[in-house]
Amino acid sequence: MIDVKRAITLMASHSVDFVVIGGVALSLYSSAYVTYDIDFCFSRHRDNLRRISEALAPFNPRLRGFPKDLPFIWDEGSLSHGSVFTLETYIGEIDLLTEVTGLGVYADVLNESVTFDLFGFVVNVLSIDGLIRAKNASGREKDIPGLRILEAIREASLDEEDEY
Amino acid sequence: MKRTAEEKLLNPEPGSKIAAAKEFGIDLTLLVENFRLTPEQRLEKLQQAMNSFEELRTELENHHLKKNDRRKTGDYADGESFG
Repeated sequence: MIDVKRAITLMASHSVDFVVIGGVALSLYSSAYVTYDIDFCFSRHRDNLRRISEALAPFNPRLRGFPKDLPFIWDEGSLSHGSVFTLETYIGEIDLLTEVTGLGVYADVLNESVTFDLFGFVVNVLSIDGLIRAKNASGREKDIPGLRILEAIREASLDEEDEY
Repeated sequence: MKRTAEEKLLNPEPGSKIAAAKEFGIDLTLLVENFRLTPEQRLEKLQQAMNSFEELRTELENHHLKKNDRRKTGDYADGESFG
């Protein structure tokens, strides 16, 4: 189970270029959906990989579901060789992704993001429209409730139109 | 007449996305509650929900472990049955 505040402040305080996506983003928009991990889309820029590596290193990141005795080196080199990392750490489960289905790579995801002031930091969060596009593109049945919630939130948030 | 987000969620217009969500089974009153919170408060609420589920999961696991141990040893409480 992830410590949400700690995960976000950890990434932000290390100046990591990231966008919050997934269930935690849904919660920020008022969804009551409960998630147990946090998903970050991150930039593959070399400096950014180093910052991620340094930010999470004290929390012993390991690949989820892999045998405990399987060697795993956590450094920027490992990060440069993958596009999806599903990690377990001392502060909970963290998923790191370099791209999002339906949106593209980090730069595309960043373009679809908005900012929230969270815990003293300005944090990029995927927009409602971006989340809807990603969930539509994923085609996964488990995303349908989240999609319905997001569509309802988007519609409720529109305040320009005369309703009657 | 303009309606607030809360009003729209509590009284969805037929054929709207909000009405579709309600028909799908989404509890819109939970959305209304969360709309009243700040983003940080929404994350705190999420964390509390996660903590509660985790506590429940741990309790259930411990309960099953104890039950299995008692099955092995035959040390049942009076009147207790295993369904």
